[in-house]
Amino acid sequence: MKQLITRIWQRWLARRLPPNTEITLSHRSIFILPSGFGLIWLALVLLLFLFGTNYQNNLVIGLSILLLSLFNTCILYSYNNLAGLHLRASMPPEVYAGETITFPIQINSNHSSYHINLGYPNNHSYTLKQVGIDEVQALVPFEHGIRGLVTPGRLKIESFYPLGLCRTWSHVDLAITHLVYAKPIEAPLQLEATLDHLREQPPTVAGQHVAGIDEFKGLKPHVLGESLKQVAWKQWAQGRGMLSKEFEQPQGKPVWLILRPNPKQLETQLSQLSWQVNKLSQLEQHFGLWLHLPTGENIILSPAVGNSHRIACQKALALYPLNPQHPQAGAPPHSATANPPFYGNEFVEKHRQLTQSGSK
Amino acid sequence: MSRSKNIAATKTITAPQIGDNISRQTLFWLLLTNLAVLSPLFDKTTPWTLGICAICLLWRIGIYVGKVAKPPRFLVTSLAVGAAITLALVSGQMGVLNALINLLILGYALKYIEMRNQRDVRAVVIVGYFLIALTFIDHQSMLSTVHLLAVTVVNTCVLVTLYQSKHRLRHTLWLGGKLLLQSVPLALLLFLVLPRFAPLWLVPNMKEAKTGLSDTLAIGDINKLTRSTELAFRASFTESTPRHTELYWRALVMEDYDGVTWRQENGIKKLQQDALIFPPSRPSPAQQVSTSTVDELRNKAEDNQAKTNRPKTQVYRYQIIAEPSHQPWLFGLDVAYSEDTAVVNLPDYRIFALRNLDQRMSYQLDSWPNATMDLILSPRQRDINLALPDNSNPRTLQLANQFKQTYPDAKQRLVAMMQYFNTEPFFYTLTPPMLGPQQVDDFLFENKAGFCVHYATALIFMARATGLPARMVTGYQGGEYNPKAGYLSVYQYMAHAWAEVWLENEGWVRFDPTAMVAPNRIELGFDAEFTPEDSYLKESPFSSLRFKSTPWLNELRQRFASIDYYWSVWVLGFNQERQNKVLNHILGDVTKTKVAVFMGLCLSLIGFYIAYSVGLFHRKRERDPISSRYQHICLRLAAHGITRQEGQGPNHFAEQIIKDYQHQAPNFCALFNALTQSYVALKYQNLPPKAYQQQLRQFNTTAKALNWRLIRPSNLLK
Repeated sequence: MKQLITRIWQRWLARRLPPNTEITLSHRSIFILPSGFGLIWLALVLLLFLFGTNYQNNLVIGLSILLLSLFNTCILYSYNNLAGLHLRASMPPEVYAGETITFPIQINSNHSSYHINLGYPNNHSYTLKQVGIDEVQALVPFEHGIRGLVTPGRLKIESFYPLGLCRTWSHVDLAITHLVYAKPIEAPLQLEATLDHLREQPPTVAGQHVAGIDEFKGLKPHVLGESLKQVAWKQWAQGRGMLSKEFEQPQGKPVWLILRPNPKQLETQLSQLSWQVNKLSQLEQHFGLWLHLPTGENIILSPAVGNSHRIACQKALALYPLNPQHPQAGAPPHSATANPPFYGNEFVEKHRQLTQSGSK
Repeated sequence: MSRSKNIAATKTITAPQIGDNISRQTLFWLLLTNLAVLSPLFDKTTPWTLGICAICLLWRIGIYVGKVAKPPRFLVTSLAVGAAITLALVSGQMGVLNALINLLILGYALKYIEMRNQRDVRAVVIVGYFLIALTFIDHQSMLSTVHLLAVTVVNTCVLVTLYQSKHRLRHTLWLGGKLLLQSVPLALLLFLVLPRFAPLWLVPNMKEAKTGLSDTLAIGDINKLTRSTELAFRASFTESTPRHTELYWRALVMEDYDGVTWRQENGIKKLQQDALIFPPSRPSPAQQVSTSTVDELRNKAEDNQAKTNRPKTQVYRYQIIAEPSHQPWLFGLDVAYSEDTAVVNLPDYRIFALRNLDQRMSYQLDSWPNATMDLILSPRQRDINLALPDNSNPRTLQLANQFKQTYPDAKQRLVAMMQYFNTEPFFYTLTPPMLGPQQVDDFLFENKAGFCVHYATALIFMARATGLPARMVTGYQGGEYNPKAGYLSVYQYMAHAWAEVWLENEGWVRFDPTAMVAPNRIELGFDAEFTPEDSYLKESPFSSLRFKSTPWLNELRQRFASIDYYWSVWVLGFNQERQNKVLNHILGDVTKTKVAVFMGLCLSLIGFYIAYSVGLFHRKRERDPISSRYQHICLRLAAHGITRQEGQGPNHFAEQIIKDYQHQAPNFCALFNALTQSYVALKYQNLPPKAYQQQLRQFNTTAKALNWRLIRPSNLLK
């Protein structure tokens, strides 16, 4: 029964307040009801009215009526506080499973609005003390335990201004979708050179030298932002200017991070891969990612180096289909997300899209 | 764990905690509220309540300044429990309501130091409102209402601080005040139309020192009242106001005399006590007049009454607003009858309040000055009103006997007794010499000096001694007329006592021996007999009645008094009846649909007003005020036939106007030129702030001046 009501409510909300990346609050989207304190307030009004009646005291009756009227005024004030509020979603920073996602939301108002709480269901809310014509950013937290695509659902915008008598709120869907990367777990680097058991050999890059850490290659002019560890201090002391030592490593054999899914430990495997991807990227190591899908297909990211490669790898790991038997796979009770199982082409397609948008 | 800087940055950002702790600003306003709410209740608190409140306040100030820590919870709890138990124990002594008020005050003060989160703040605010309401119970003057409204604003400001970001005192006060001010119109409307009910159940009373007349009367008692400048009640007559000599306000009838003290007779006392459960009833004199059973008797009585030239059925209709006396006595002229639900009509032709007058009470009543009281006297009543204390005042009895022998006719005898006070050298004074145990003898034959009670007692004693039933009536005599608002003020110093004697065929007839000794007191009023400074002003150095002697000050006093009077009538005494009157005045016949339409109209008007002032309507008009002002003037000019061409710049427009109108209206041209200069400077030059402000001021004054010129067509070319 409760579920049915919730479903009907959600459907009604979706019709009334369709998802959009930019939303301006108006009478269509603002709801007002007395808060708990407001109900106590009304009880006080009634009590004072009875009190005044029993003592036949018009001033007490007058006070009770004034408080009632004040309640009415507050309804208008609280509506006005939210009306005209303009919300815009922007790109959240990257996040790993188990961490709190903070969705940055840009807000401004065509007048002054006060004391606005923004929050996702079952999460802490972010309070903005004042919003004016100039845009401010609210960082709305969202706890999410598992990797994959996250749609946080409807953002609740709530205010008790001016006296806390009325709860004015709105549920807006800012059409946010975000990818949560697998939680990194420290593990030994397991780079594999060959993939014997595979019939299909990965594209070979043998004999090439790629930037690496093993062998000294030469000197090049220092670029601002490069690690100070690589600066050739000796040459600098000699007055030859700021130079960086360049290293390389022989690409004798390609280095691969490979996932051979073990249904019982899939998440741990992915987590360890996630850590390795980050580690290798930090070390500026050349590597590729090879993921075996349960369907027998493979996801292959050719060896490369750099941040965009790292992001592409993380995305591939994050989107790896959840194991239905795995305890973590069941959707957490509060989550508004369902991780759709991506298989085959569909998954690859999705992955490509995300990679492209990530490298922007 | 290593991550890119990007990720590391995200981790440090945490959502700020929802402010559940109390801000300093809130604490400051709470300090103010605590003082503001509790100070008017000062007279209700017991000394130790006051002490605890003071300690709590000091502690809170300590917390605010940061010198003291919060008290441990168990201390506060044990204090609260202790206070509640103590108050419950002494509630019999101090009155249930007083005990409750004290309990509430204590709870308020203790919660105040114990406050931890915003919920506690809200609780304190709610109790604050309730305490304000309690204060209203016996502070009902206009001044204290204004004061308490200010306290309400302060109390509301505490709530404002919970949700406001501006930390300036005046911003908080401004918003709190604005919220309440904008709520006033709707409140007034609701006050006007909301139905009023009779008390729904019995509520505990205040235990207060009683003021005014008492139900026992020893000879010195009225004397005390004549020293009081306090207002007793006010009366406004709908048609004619009776003459001063007729203003005998009856409040109490006393029939029991023990030689020293007059008391109410037990039968009446019982009636009064049981009035709430078995309200005694007395037919209205209006019905009495028409009933045939008494007609015969009436015909006989008519001969005697014929001397008075007024018709028998004359009725005075008037309203009385009685000041709180904490006693149930009400005041009425002669045979008084009231249909008010809170008023009981007693069989001795008095009226009586069902509940003590703990606050101002207004009631409507009718008086029949010529109606007869008790044409037939029951044997019991006759006995009571003939009773004399044993072995008392032998000389008076002797004198009475003489009267009886000389004047066998009752009426003549009474007239002779009254004359006796006039012919013998009696002296009317508020400071009579002491009396011995034989009070009446001492007064009549030794001192020959006294005031109303002395004279009335002597007359009643003699009347009873000669076989005429007589009784003592106390109340007030006279009244000060306020011509501004047309009502009579009766002060405590106008307290009076007189006699009523029962005569065959006439019933109880009023005899006031004081009128024989000091006729001016009855005809012209108290002031004609005594100088105020020697009597009622003696002990009230700050009474406004002092202004009586200076005409303009007296007028001012009366003006203030009439404002207070209207306040009492229209606010404090606003009841179902007045409500109907007002609605009748506005709507004609009051029907449900009419009231509904009226309400709807008013509500929507008020709604629009608040919505407008909140800013719901002028969202889209947020244009640059400078441009809109300039546009406005251009529109005005267009109305005069001077139109600005599409795309014509302001400078060009000004040049065109100067070219066309330089000769006809040089002043106007100069003004418009100045306006254009300022406008262009403000819009298109990047001025430093100071110069901008200066230019803006100039622009505004010029625009104002131009606007004035353009309002009327004839002004343009002058």
